Amino acid sequence: MGSGVKSQLEDIWSLSPLQQGLFFHARYDSGGGDVYTAQIAFDMVGPLDTGALRAAAEALLRRHANLRAGFRQRKDGSAVQVVHRRVRLPWTETDLSDLPAERREDEARLLAEAERARPFDLARPPLLRFLLIKLAADRHRMVFTNHHILLDGWSTPVLQTELFALYLAKGDDTGMPRVTPYKNYLAWLAHQDRGAAEDAWRRALAGLDEPTLVAPHAGDAPAAAPPDKVRRLLPEDLTAALSARARAHGATLSTVLQLAWGVLLARLTGRTDVVFGAAVSGRPPELPGVEQMIGLFINTLPIRVRARPGDTVAEALTRLQREQADLMPHHHLGLTDIQRLTGIGSLFDTMTVLENYPFDPDAAGTDLGGLTLHGVDGYDASHYPLTLAAVPGRRLSLRLDYRTDLYTARDAARVMERLLRVLEAIAHRPGTPLARIDVLDDAERGRVLRDWQGPATARPPQTVTGRFARRTAEHPDAVAVRSAAGETLTYAELDARANRLAHRLAGLGVRRETRVAMLLERSADVIAASLAVLKAGGVFAPIHHGYPRDRMAWAVEEVDAPVLLVNTPMKDRVAGLDVGARILVVDDDPELAAQPDTDPGVPAHPEQAACVLFTSGSTGVPKGVVLRHRDIVALADDARLRTPAHQRVLVHSPHAFDASLYEMFTPLLNGGTSIVAPPGRLDADTLERLIAAEDVTALFLTTTLFNLVAEERPHAFARLRQVLTGGEAGSPAAMRKVLAACPDTEVGHVYGPTEATTYTTVTGMRGALADPDETAAVLGRPIDDMRVYVLDAGLRPVPPGVPGEAYIAGAGVGRGYLHRPALTAERFVADPFGAPGDRMYRTGDLVRWRDDGTLEYLDRVDFQVKVRGFRIEPGEIEAALAAHPAVANAAVVARQDAGGVKRLVAYVVPKDGGADMAELPAELRRHTAERVPEYMVPAAFVLLDTLPVNPNGKLDRDALPAPGFDAAAGGRAPATPDEERLCEAFAQVLGLERVGADVSFFDLGGDSITALKLVARAREAGIELTPRDVFTHQTVEALTRRYADDTGRLGFEVLLPLRTTGSRPPVFFVHPAGGLAWGYLRFCRHLGPDQPVYGLQARAFTQAELPGSVEEMAADYLEQIRAVQPSGPYHLCGWSLGGLVAYEMACRLQAAGERVALLALLDAYHGQDLDSERRDVLPELLQAIGVDPRTVAPDGHPDIKQIMALLAERGDALATLDEDALVNVYRNYENGLRQAEAYRPGRFSGDLVFFTARRGRPAGAPTAAATWGPLVDGRVHDHPVDAEHHELLEPGPVAEMGAVLAARLAATAPR
Amino acid sequence: MTNPFEDPDGTYLVLVNHEGQYSLWPSFAEVPAGWTVDKTEDTRQACLDHIAERWTDMRPRSLAEAMGD
Repeated sequence: MGSGVKSQLEDIWSLSPLQQGLFFHARYDSGGGDVYTAQIAFDMVGPLDTGALRAAAEALLRRHANLRAGFRQRKDGSAVQVVHRRVRLPWTETDLSDLPAERREDEARLLAEAERARPFDLARPPLLRFLLIKLAADRHRMVFTNHHILLDGWSTPVLQTELFALYLAKGDDTGMPRVTPYKNYLAWLAHQDRGAAEDAWRRALAGLDEPTLVAPHAGDAPAAAPPDKVRRLLPEDLTAALSARARAHGATLSTVLQLAWGVLLARLTGRTDVVFGAAVSGRPPELPGVEQMIGLFINTLPIRVRARPGDTVAEALTRLQREQADLMPHHHLGLTDIQRLTGIGSLFDTMTVLENYPFDPDAAGTDLGGLTLHGVDGYDASHYPLTLAAVPGRRLSLRLDYRTDLYTARDAARVMERLLRVLEAIAHRPGTPLARIDVLDDAERGRVLRDWQGPATARPPQTVTGRFARRTAEHPDAVAVRSAAGETLTYAELDARANRLAHRLAGLGVRRETRVAMLLERSADVIAASLAVLKAGGVFAPIHHGYPRDRMAWAVEEVDAPVLLVNTPMKDRVAGLDVGARILVVDDDPELAAQPDTDPGVPAHPEQAACVLFTSGSTGVPKGVVLRHRDIVALADDARLRTPAHQRVLVHSPHAFDASLYEMFTPLLNGGTSIVAPPGRLDADTLERLIAAEDVTALFLTTTLFNLVAEERPHAFARLRQVLTGGEAGSPAAMRKVLAACPDTEVGHVYGPTEATTYTTVTGMRGALADPDETAAVLGRPIDDMRVYVLDAGLRPVPPGVPGEAYIAGAGVGRGYLHRPALTAERFVADPFGAPGDRMYRTGDLVRWRDDGTLEYLDRVDFQVKVRGFRIEPGEIEAALAAHPAVANAAVVARQDAGGVKRLVAYVVPKDGGADMAELPAELRRHTAERVPEYMVPAAFVLLDTLPVNPNGKLDRDALPAPGFDAAAGGRAPATPDEERLCEAFAQVLGLERVGADVSFFDLGGDSITALKLVARAREAGIELTPRDVFTHQTVEALTRRYADDTGRLGFEVLLPLRTTGSRPPVFFVHPAGGLAWGYLRFCRHLGPDQPVYGLQARAFTQAELPGSVEEMAADYLEQIRAVQPSGPYHLCGWSLGGLVAYEMACRLQAAGERVALLALLDAYHGQDLDSERRDVLPELLQAIGVDPRTVAPDGHPDIKQIMALLAERGDALATLDEDALVNVYRNYENGLRQAEAYRPGRFSGDLVFFTARRGRPAGAPTAAATWGPLVDGRVHDHPVDAEHHELLEPGPVAEMGAVLAARLAATAPR
Repeated sequence: MTNPFEDPDGTYLVLVNHEGQYSLWPSFAEVPAGWTVDKTEDTRQACLDHIAERWTDMRPRSLAEAMGD
């Protein structure tokens, strides 16, 4: 400067809030195409003075300092815009006029696209480019491309106007008004009242507890491709009607569009309170000359629309307009700041923009020396999945931009059509409640309400007794019931036995609709007595065996039963029970034999009640679901259940549980046989034995029991035709295990509440899970004559893909709740979609339709939970707790731990100065057990000072602490790999986070059932134990000592057996750069007990020389695996470096003529520039074993000694590493990185399974497809895993990957 | 999602069908075919009380008739 040379730097400014946002995004996105590039193009017809136009562009840059800004990040992280004094004008001219006329347009379009594709370097101004294309002598096209950070859509018409004014003046701006500098705007921003704005926004968004996302799984990752768009031009009359609607309610067109988008969004997300972004001009009116400024002012602000179903269009519009007007003065607050106020983070993923630019190019009316402008076209994009842009005019023009990685053109067109239907309603029906606006078209309605429903059979309703009589007449000598006790009853014998009891019941006053209580231990009499009650005209009401005595008495009274039926084993349970009912012992009643064995001939009606089944009630007492004769017959008649597969069904569910209706009546009403299991709880062993001995063809298991058997003994079902399972969210992994182990058995997934008679949907999973990428156990479609409506809060059917509540209509929807008219009227409600007068049952289940018309279960809308297949209302338990004098407040939740074990936990706030706190939990357990069934007694009682609440005043369930088995779980940490494995198995089956090696299994809540699970888990982990061992040795320490006497250097062998048992070809996992394969142990439990698993570990632990290359390692390890598996098919997997070695091994095996049936790589890439010289190996090594290096050494550069200390302190199996071994790990790691870089893979023929660690991926990191696609001649199946690279072997990611691998292995397994 | 039958501040109707079965019904929604309004717009609790009082025999009318009552 001293020499008089002017600095290139003119000024340094801060960034406006939106610029900051764009700066962040643009830097983050630097890998892909820049979606923040905007472009406008327009044609000029007539004689053009190109020199003058260029001079005008030069002048534009001179006049507007902000167009000369570059953007940089300072060392402290803040961003600045650096205004350069002079910049070169990026100006290009291209002449296409020589081309054939028909090619010019295509070529011009390609040129414009190329301009958009060329990214801007934010640091190098100007961030704009002019391209002038000569199409013909008198036709030119101007293509103006800029980075969005420079100017917004509102600025482009200003820019155009100014450009042509300057054009006329040949670049001389002396006659033009002064430009208001952008820095004035930045100064204005700095003076706004931030506190007031924050308050206003906080108020506006109060009560929101989650974001509104149409694509919740899209993540924050930027879209790779620019969005595509669908456009609609509204008719003039609709446009006019919308404007009139706006005027009539004192609203703007913008508010009308926002209401429409809000209503649509509510329908697309299944919510009534939604938020989306809206672009506002952001030009403060008090800033002089602001309308003529060129720059970035636009801001994106959250718009909240509460689409309450009962509000009319007019009410909603008025309210939205008022809310928006109140926020006007606060538009200057940046989106990030607003989002921070809510504590939710990103609030939305859709936005709207009304492009009411202050300029109409057609109406410019300027004399451009014979030049006229035509066909102004714009290109602007955002990274949101959906953006609605509207351009006002005589015909409102709508444009929906959509991310092509999330939506197809058809999806987007459908969204647009739905929006139009909402706009029509808003325009023409202001008095309509929002709920009545339909977003589905007729075809879509037809699909979800009719086509995807259960087949309509037109079967007339029947009675159970009539149907049973017919079957008896048809084949009196067929076997109706077999019991495990050896009893056999033919239809005629069963009929006679039921008849005698029916006469006896009639004699005791049982008439039509009289309820008879039942409490029988499982035997053939359960069936005979149920039938007898029906034959007498009565209604059987089974009492839960788990009920405490008071509750039993309550239930008998509740049903007004004149008779309580029991059998001998249950006699003592009811002795002295305080009930008015006469107790009749069905297998020990002296008068029974004398009763006639003919049918008592009581008339029956299909509408007559057949049974009352109690389920948990939220108000503190159970509610009795009344089901009719016709409901039971309809279930038995369903085409899925009335098949030979359900000819011999095992009866084992509790009588009071609705599954017993399927077990007893599906065979009996269809001429089959009910096989009655022995009393007591079934285990996998008994189950398998019974199936074989009694030739059972089908049975039902609750999800919990099914999963347990699937894990322990998946082949137990092999002789069944069908195993039905349901009750809770099904596990695809467990189902796959069973399907693989039982090739002739179908797994039927069932869903349905008791109120709709046991099953509403039944679907075969062999087909549904054939696709290895399927991750859910779908529900399929409703069974015969049943319908499932998926409705939103306005009782409208939701579109496929949108969550809604399931309402069940048609056959099987029972009568209601016994003695509870009000409760019945709010759950069994009028059906708007069925025949006149029909009812539908409101389930409280959140489900959605998939596009192929299958239902998928998502969640509960309330707090009802299922534990071990039992439906539980926490409110019932809370009411029981609240009845205790020492309890001030209580909450009960079902907690599911990482191991998938679900248990009830009670949180109790004791009253001040009351009971002895130490004794209170035990006292509360006793208290609760006296009031609710055993399965509803919480597993843990946690005392709290107060129950945590969220900002909305509701119980904050996430803030409730996990129940503490902590003291017991403490103990010493595992010290060997075996101990670690066994501790993990303990923790898994007990549902604890960690387990000490010296603590007894039984002190931690283990019991005989969990001990069986432990044996199964330990076996998967390669440790053979018997249940007796568990009872005798109890602690991990003792069990391991028994198991492994040879200690030595266990765990460092090259071929590490992780599980040696199983009949399938083994899976080999190759070590990552660190050299150890221990981490793969976690896969064992997910791959099934029949799957042998081996790890391959680096020789670095046992020899000093390091391998020279990936190829050398591959050759070495191949020899190792050939020793245990001489020939294919081979299954190979590897993480990181191990992936490269596995790939090389696979190629070599193929070259040797072997089959490689599975090759799976865990986030492994070849040819990466790992830049090993500059890498800091130790910290990375620590990260690879899950340690943050900064916790070891504050500067992040620990030395070996520090690491040794850390490992010893960690106390896990790595503590067994001595310093030499650690140095070996270190050397191996370093060596491995070098080899990974040098490795050049060959070709592999076949499919490649790949897992991408999605989190923490650097921008522009190579994808599986890009890395391996060109080398592999099959498909690359890329499964994203929500974890960082170094977290891939954590339990969560392993479970995800394990499920995929298990499915792949099952698919390749030889049959 | 707030269920339309669970809105404590909402207004409701009481509907009844040809079988004498009652249904709570949000007043914003159209009354389905085959149902008549037994109680006009009121609070949720008032509607439930009305139902509890009126619906004393929960058998459908066709059954009650068949049973000769």
